[in-house]
Amino acid sequence: MEEFIKQFFDVGFMVDHFDEVLDGFWITTQLAVLSGLLALVWGLILATLRQLPGKALLPVRFLTIAYIDVFRGIPLLMLILLIAGGVPALEFLPESLRLPQWFGKPDSFWFGVLAITITYGAYMAEVYRSGIESVPGGQMEAARSLGMSHGQAMRNVILPQAIRKVIAPLLNDFIALTKDTTLVSFIALNEVTLVASDIQSETFNSSALTLGAIMFLVVTLPLARLVDKLISREQGRFTRGAPRVEAL
Amino acid sequence: MESQANGGSMLSLQGIHKRFGDLEVLRGVDLEIKKGEVVCVLGPSGSGKSTLLRCVNLLEPPEEGDIHLEERSICRGPGSGTGEQSWELDFVRQRVGIVFQQFNLFPHRTALQNVTMAQEKVLGRSSAEAKAKGNELLERVGLGDKLNEYPERLSGGQQQRVAIARALAMDPHVMLFDEVTSALDPELVKEVLDVMRELAEEGMTMIVVTHEIGFAREVADRVVFMDGGVIVEEGPPAQVLDSPREERTKQFLGLVLDH
Repeated sequence: MEEFIKQFFDVGFMVDHFDEVLDGFWITTQLAVLSGLLALVWGLILATLRQLPGKALLPVRFLTIAYIDVFRGIPLLMLILLIAGGVPALEFLPESLRLPQWFGKPDSFWFGVLAITITYGAYMAEVYRSGIESVPGGQMEAARSLGMSHGQAMRNVILPQAIRKVIAPLLNDFIALTKDTTLVSFIALNEVTLVASDIQSETFNSSALTLGAIMFLVVTLPLARLVDKLISREQGRFTRGAPRVEAL
Repeated sequence: MESQANGGSMLSLQGIHKRFGDLEVLRGVDLEIKKGEVVCVLGPSGSGKSTLLRCVNLLEPPEEGDIHLEERSICRGPGSGTGEQSWELDFVRQRVGIVFQQFNLFPHRTALQNVTMAQEKVLGRSSAEAKAKGNELLERVGLGDKLNEYPERLSGGQQQRVAIARALAMDPHVMLFDEVTSALDPELVKEVLDVMRELAEEGMTMIVVTHEIGFAREVADRVVFMDGGVIVEEGPPAQVLDSPREERTKQFLGLVLDH
């Protein structure tokens, strides 16, 4: 038992390596927040493209659906490895794109952002879609019959209602995204997993990884509670009747 | 009620056909509506009444036939079908208002915002202009004290009156009413019909799909009876409602009135 605690929960060891692990977690946080925001926007763009009306835009809808299917279907880790190993070899790209070092962040950071945004954009597009499709068809008809274009109707009528309904599932995806940033350790980004696992292999003590895991919990647990709260509020609204929307 | 129709053609429908898959909902409808005329459309459910209204404002563009709005063709004859040609759509939606059975108010906006949104986005009115117009119209439908309420806080009858104000805010030349009292509790029907009656008296051109025989008798200049996707009979309310010529009209009125 003592051995078990020493291996995984050595408090003194954690204190000694706290700053290192926290530095790694800071990288993780930046990666998660930036990718999360980009995926939120990219997913909304994809969902909107998917809903474009008319025969002429069929190719756009088809390509969007193909994109979403493909990137939901392939493992994020493979995509990270494909991008990080492939893009720097593309000689026709300018060096600032092949080996991006923007804002003092290494190329592995940016490759990670790209891969996560591509994948989670596809996931979030599906979440937005479920929200858009849950808005009754009469809303679009009412907006169009008042002379609004499809785009105006989406912006002013459909999306404000749809997004409100999907805030909780989007947050769920963000929690998953935050955990998946650990995969970027495979291309040598010094985020929390890589930092902690290096400490583990040097010292044969796993407590730094445990510490990293605890840092994740500090972030993900409140988010999970928030999701629960939002869902129960949404259900409360549902049982009271029509949705009540104070401000959005 | 005295007819206010002044003779000019507002709407002209010729040979309208509409199909949903294998189901032919409209099988050749011809209808003329004059400016200022109030036409009530009666008929059993599934007779194509609502689809006819939705054809007029191109929510469901007809597959065949021609519609003229103020003497201008809004669907280019047989096979044009899509109705998405933009000038027609804009032309139609700026002139034709519609009120739906299910109200379809925007639940995330207050009563006033429901009435101002399209004024600002579509007509480009300033926020102050749109608000003034919204205030005036909501006042007119008896909801001057509900400007800042959200739809869920309003009764069905109040919501439907907001929906009427919302459509009127766009200064339509024709108003379409698609069974607007069918989803209301009986005690709320009158307040909505009263607003429509007033509108008719002011000379608005209206096509009213309804089951309210009393309203049709009192307000309509002309009653149209539809069944099976065609117009079976039309004429002045007294004639169609009291001494219908067609067997199907008699049957339907018998069912509606005998209970």
